[in-house]
Amino acid sequence: MKKRNRNQTTISVPHSLYLKREKRRKAAVRACQFGLLFLALGLWEAAAQLKIIDSFMFSSPSRIAAEIAGLAKRGTLFTHIFTTLYECAIGFAAATAAGVLIAVLLWWSENVRRVLDPYIVVLNSLPKIALGPMIIIWFGAGVKAIIFMAVLISVIVAVLSILNGFLSCDPDKILLLRSMGGNKFQILFKLVLPHSLPDIISALKINVGLAWVGTIMGEYLVSRSGLGYLIVYGGTVFKIDLVMAATVILCVLAGFMYFGVAAVERRVAKHRGGV
Amino acid sequence: MEILRLENISLTYHTPGGETPAIKDLSFYLEEGEFLSVVGPSGCGKTSILSLISGLMPPSGGSIAVCGKRVTGPGADIAYMLQRDQLFEWRNVRGNVLLGLEIQRKRTPETVDYAESLLCKYGLKDFMRHHPRQLSGGMRQRVALIRTLATSPKLLLLDEPFSALDFQTRLSVCDDVHAIIKGEGKTAVLVTHDISEAVSMSDKIALLSARPATLKEMYRLKFAAKTPLERRECAEFRKWFERVLKGLA
Repeated sequence: MKKRNRNQTTISVPHSLYLKREKRRKAAVRACQFGLLFLALGLWEAAAQLKIIDSFMFSSPSRIAAEIAGLAKRGTLFTHIFTTLYECAIGFAAATAAGVLIAVLLWWSENVRRVLDPYIVVLNSLPKIALGPMIIIWFGAGVKAIIFMAVLISVIVAVLSILNGFLSCDPDKILLLRSMGGNKFQILFKLVLPHSLPDIISALKINVGLAWVGTIMGEYLVSRSGLGYLIVYGGTVFKIDLVMAATVILCVLAGFMYFGVAAVERRVAKHRGGV
Repeated sequence: MEILRLENISLTYHTPGGETPAIKDLSFYLEEGEFLSVVGPSGCGKTSILSLISGLMPPSGGSIAVCGKRVTGPGADIAYMLQRDQLFEWRNVRGNVLLGLEIQRKRTPETVDYAESLLCKYGLKDFMRHHPRQLSGGMRQRVALIRTLATSPKLLLLDEPFSALDFQTRLSVCDDVHAIIKGEGKTAVLVTHDISEAVSMSDKIALLSARPATLKEMYRLKFAAKTPLERRECAEFRKWFERVLKGLA
């Protein structure tokens, strides 16, 4: 085991140069990231203004901005955002909770795990959209069906990745707790869950993305509002500006949610003394 | 006082491929404060003996008693120290040491005080809030030993606790662990494949035969030297080493 030199106060000249270089590189990467975005937007706008591309087919940044402003003025923008956000958040939370619970159940009993294994494999490879019509019939053409779609699409992956974390626990550590007289509950709460926290968080990260897929897919199937609805509606009436506007908002929301989970991950890592 | 008694222990493993007799008709006993090492050819079921004593699995035949009570499952009288330190990375040193007390629902101000006093006594006072990854291999092993002592067990079971350490560290940790166990007056059973380790640490050495394991010889060691390192310097060390080695062949 190496001990870390945390309390080093004097920094040598080569090291300070190295730190400076690293800092500069970081700044350059950030600048390029933004530069790329502005370049793409600029080229797109220029091509539309100079009529190199047909802005009716391909829209343009200014038209998208105008569309979003229009939606905001009519007051429907936030209704749509709220609807989708609400469905996605509920779906995400439900899928994560169900994922942890099912993973605990499968970890608890090896027999249950063996019995259910082929079913999970099949469910995992099944394209969940195929169940769309069934879900609509069972849950009605509404928010419930959309949330169920979001849960369905993300829960299996969540179960598999969390269970994987549970099973990667060192058998000798389990032996240690058993030799202390620990029961299965104690092994779960004192060892397996804290050990798998990083796996649970990485499952959250995957789930954020999948919950968005599920929500938008659900909205494609049944909806009267939401960003998915805007996209489908825009597509049908050939309003590419609307489709693009909804997509841009979706990008921003999904990005925020992902960074939220990433922030939780950093906090947990820090709490554990950093890795 | 007699701490441990094994009587006519046998153990048979069952696998889909058939059954394997691992231990046959094994008997020995241990007095309070004695340090026993179990040596034998590799794969002879040394670790299984510790699993049996700790109550993690029942023997196929015979009986085991700790402090006069028959072992039927893991209990608070016994503490098990495994090959690697098995410290929990997400708990600090103090949290790791208190683990056994939490599991056995014995965490009270008194027992916590006792655990902390052990940490202070054995040089870990300033490391209580450190996480395991900030410690050296030898210190981690010391924390693991104090974790096993914190529940005040009567009998310590050590399953090659030094095998993951490099040779230098190993010698000093051996000394360290021996001093702590003797200092606390504990009875211990050490499983090892290293004869020199067994000779340097033990009061008794149980030599097992190849599978199915049975007791081939019980050596009672007498040394003027106290610590394992001093023993290694003694003239008798070589003599005992060769005797055990010959017995093993």
